[in-house]
Amino acid sequence: MLEKLKELEDEARGKIEEANDLEELKTVKVRFLGKKGELTKLLRSLGSVPSEERPVIGKKANALREELERAIERREQVLQDSQRRERWEKERVDVTLPGRPVTVGQRHPLTMIIDEIKEIFTGLGFQLAYGPDIETDYYNFEALNIPADHPARDMQDSFYITDQYLLRTHTSPVQIRSMERQAPKLPVRIICLGKVYRRDDDATHSPMFHQCEGLVVDTDITFADLKGTLDLFAREMFGPEQRVRFRPSFFPFTEPSAEVDISCIMCGGKGCRTCSYTGWLEILGSGMVHPRVLEVSGYNPREVTGFAFGMGVERIAMLKYGIGDLRLFFSNDLRFLKQFS
Amino acid sequence: MRVSYEWLKEYIDPGKSAEEVADLLTLSGVEVEAVETFGSSLPSVVVGEVKGLESHPGRSNLTLVDTDIGEETLKIVCGAKNMQVGDKVPTARPGAELPGGRIIEATDIHGVTSPGMICSAQELGLELGSEEEILILDRASKIGDPVDELLGFGDKILVLELTPDRPDCLSMIGVAHEIAALTGKEVKMPRLTPSEKGPSLEESLKVAIVDSELCPRYTVRAVDEITIGRSPLWMQLRLLKAGIRPINNVVDITNYVMWEFGQPLHAFDLDLLKSGEILVRRAQEGEKIVTLDGVERKLTPEALVITDGTRPVALAGVMGGEDTEINDSTKMVLIEAAAFNPTSIRRTARRYNLPSEASQRFEKGVNPEAVTWAQDRAALLMHELTGGTVLRGLIDQNEAPVHETEIRVNPEKINRVLGLELDKDMVVDLLSKLGIAVNNNQEGTLDITVPLRRGDVAIEEDIIEEVARLYGYDKIPVTLPRGELLGNVKSYDERVQDLTRDVLTACGYHECITYSFINPSTLVRLRFPDDDPRMKPIPVQNPFSEEQAVMRTTLLPGLLKTVQHNYSHRELNQMLFEMGAVFEAQSLPLEGLPEERMKLGIAVTGQIPEPNWVDPSRETDFFAIKGALEALFKRLQVEEVSFIPEAMPFSHPARCALIKIKGREVGYLGQVHPDVAEAWEIDQPVTVSEIDLALLCEKANLVPRVAPLPRYPAAKRDLAIVVPKEIPADKLEKAIREAGGDLVSQVKLFDLYEGKQIPEGKRSLAYSITFRRDERTLTEAEINRAQEEIQNALFELGAVLRS
Repeated sequence: MLEKLKELEDEARGKIEEANDLEELKTVKVRFLGKKGELTKLLRSLGSVPSEERPVIGKKANALREELERAIERREQVLQDSQRRERWEKERVDVTLPGRPVTVGQRHPLTMIIDEIKEIFTGLGFQLAYGPDIETDYYNFEALNIPADHPARDMQDSFYITDQYLLRTHTSPVQIRSMERQAPKLPVRIICLGKVYRRDDDATHSPMFHQCEGLVVDTDITFADLKGTLDLFAREMFGPEQRVRFRPSFFPFTEPSAEVDISCIMCGGKGCRTCSYTGWLEILGSGMVHPRVLEVSGYNPREVTGFAFGMGVERIAMLKYGIGDLRLFFSNDLRFLKQFS
Repeated sequence: MRVSYEWLKEYIDPGKSAEEVADLLTLSGVEVEAVETFGSSLPSVVVGEVKGLESHPGRSNLTLVDTDIGEETLKIVCGAKNMQVGDKVPTARPGAELPGGRIIEATDIHGVTSPGMICSAQELGLELGSEEEILILDRASKIGDPVDELLGFGDKILVLELTPDRPDCLSMIGVAHEIAALTGKEVKMPRLTPSEKGPSLEESLKVAIVDSELCPRYTVRAVDEITIGRSPLWMQLRLLKAGIRPINNVVDITNYVMWEFGQPLHAFDLDLLKSGEILVRRAQEGEKIVTLDGVERKLTPEALVITDGTRPVALAGVMGGEDTEINDSTKMVLIEAAAFNPTSIRRTARRYNLPSEASQRFEKGVNPEAVTWAQDRAALLMHELTGGTVLRGLIDQNEAPVHETEIRVNPEKINRVLGLELDKDMVVDLLSKLGIAVNNNQEGTLDITVPLRRGDVAIEEDIIEEVARLYGYDKIPVTLPRGELLGNVKSYDERVQDLTRDVLTACGYHECITYSFINPSTLVRLRFPDDDPRMKPIPVQNPFSEEQAVMRTTLLPGLLKTVQHNYSHRELNQMLFEMGAVFEAQSLPLEGLPEERMKLGIAVTGQIPEPNWVDPSRETDFFAIKGALEALFKRLQVEEVSFIPEAMPFSHPARCALIKIKGREVGYLGQVHPDVAEAWEIDQPVTVSEIDLALLCEKANLVPRVAPLPRYPAAKRDLAIVVPKEIPADKLEKAIREAGGDLVSQVKLFDLYEGKQIPEGKRSLAYSITFRRDERTLTEAEINRAQEEIQNALFELGAVLRS
């Protein structure tokens, strides 16, 4: 009897291990442990065993049942795991396929620069100011100390609407408008970003472009303040390692006037084609507000001083993003615009 | 202004290299745009002396020139005829490299081997003489010397980019003074005293000024017995470096002296000026003059002319007349140096389109002292270089003598403006370097006398700038403005615009910026009727082209041009927007500032998403933009928006809507009429929208209001109905919401179907309706009742349930 039990055990264990899927395993389970299974049958034939041996064999047989049940369970687990692994394998994706399309838009690169400029200056306590694109001769020239026939009018060939009205050639008229609106209240601290127009059209000039104008008027504004403000701007815009250089220059509406250069962002100041081998790039014009400009705007030049600056937004964008042709900004070529998104 | 460094050293020795001087000038406000090198090196081109000339044995037009170059005498074949025995000539030996890369070798020329070449000026890279003319060098040149050194090749030329306030630097002397201020070196004036002879000029010539406002001063000198010819090579070379083409000795001297002092000069042939009289007056209406360029010009009284008493002989300060031009047989020269009204010169030069070195200087202002300097200097040079005799006396009609400007300056103010703490002595010291005389006065301020050459220094602030730039802008400290804090940094409109950009870019749109001016014909292409206000754009008086002739009244032409550009570059799928002003005149021609209204323009064409391997692409259409607008309206919390079917002149007749907010029209949205799209060469549907941002701002609310999250569950019911096609969807939704009352929290259209199984003229719409109450869970009975009400309302509109 014991031998039979042993044989059965060996066979059952063999079959369990051989079962390749859950179905097969179930058949094995029924064959050995089922109501009409072989172990059951064996137990039923226990009657033919001498009574003194019966408890031993009975115990063994029951132990065997439990063992086989556990073995089947283990096998079941193994088979189940392998089945799921197979299923998952079938669900494998090609991770190198491109992602689902996301349609991404972006602000125009000039808007990106304008936003950045606004952020820098509003952070310094400047207020945003506005003025019209179509201006009067008075605001665009006269009030800015550029009377008719002034040689400085040579510097900016204008688009005229009538003899009186023209497309503003710079954002500087906003200086006058802002001061007039506020005089005699102090301080004036404004930044204006907008479109300006000049009769120029080539790879480095566009008949329409954007300027940023800044103005600060208060009781004790100095040239040193102008330097500090623009120095900070250049570092915020182009990076903390930027060096800034101020050169004397001329604008009819500032005195003293300064041209501001930054160290060339292409070569770091060593000299390259972009900076014509000077190591410097001119980025803006500035100066102390001319007393006549303060006066016509309602401030007493003996009591207040101020500084003003103006820069081309396209120039900043070209330098910052490495853009070679100004005309790209206004062609709105998606192959260009999409590089910013 | 081009400044030859070698020439400059006649007036000052800076004790520095040209490059160092260039840096100093740039940093003190006289920008040196470039430092150029004059000429190129000419290895193996040496001075040769012509020892003998004989005819070429085979060719009579060629000459064999015995040329002594020191080590040997070469027999060189030459085609030019202008040299004589004893002349010194530039001789290129075999191995010489001429500008343009030409290499000289011994060459057989019709049977004679020429061991080199005798060169013309042009072959050496100089714009002098003709190609058939050998450059004759100074007789004093040493045989065998390198020619490049002799010609001053390698000299540096400072190219100045001057601001309009610094005409003083349009002269060598002016630049020398500027350098003197920067280096502390002294300026040397050139020789100015001509030796005079013979009768006094006053006896034979009368000078009078009629219009002293346009011509405050007029001076003349005369030089007789001159011989017209080439000016010496050194002068021609200096003029070349300055960028002036040498003509003849007399004309060259006037130009040379203009370069020295900035004072333009004019030379008349005095024998051709027959009357013995000079009268400076305004031109008479219709009067004519043939100018030096051979063009007959009709004059108006705006122009100032120099006359011989009856006829004009020069357009004052701009160009001389042909009648009295210096020519090869000129014997007697009248030199003019005058002061003219800058504005008048500017207008005349503009009107006749004759900008010149002279008019440029007159426009910007000439140093009043330079008038007599230039006269004396020119007379001296004419005597020395043309063999002429300077007649006694300078006739000087000076109607408005100019005095030096006096300015009172407070040193404290200088410090207050610059943010410095300079003491008075320092200020005095800096200013005296510029030749500015400074006197302390009793009030503790400074009395300053500005030299006449610096006409730009007129007020205290100008002095502050002079102090700042001589002290050095780089030495001024760096501080930030102090003062009261200001609030309200961003306007409401600005924030709405920012948000609009946020929403549209998040929806996949790219922002464009197009020109504010458009081609007026695009408005016609858009089919606006004549009485449409958009058909009355503001014209630009002087546009570049028709493309930029008028200010835009709508963003559409710019957007369609952009779509066209991208479409033609095979970017077929486009989602674009622009935010910008359109210009609306109240009357034309403009009588006041026009209204500039901010608009939002949107255009889509092609497919979204771009065709790809995973998601289906759909043709963009009306609803693509509508979705983006709905997202925008939602973000701006704009409510009561309606889309009312209405065609625009440029739109597809059945795919366009007016957009109204609370009953107020704010814009439109529609597909561009295929014929209109075709006019822009776009061969696929394009949909556009334009919205008035100012009106949108009025209705917007930027602060989101948050409702508490629902506490009780919602019930969802789907409802599919079949309705006549002409019933618009918003009417159905409105009916659902009204009939359902406040039980209905959301209505969503999740399916729309027309076609098979649906009767002709009808369509099926399927809604998912969410029912909810805030205070408790709804009962099944309540929901059923509400749904019934809704169905009944829909039935009244002609709907039937879809089975």
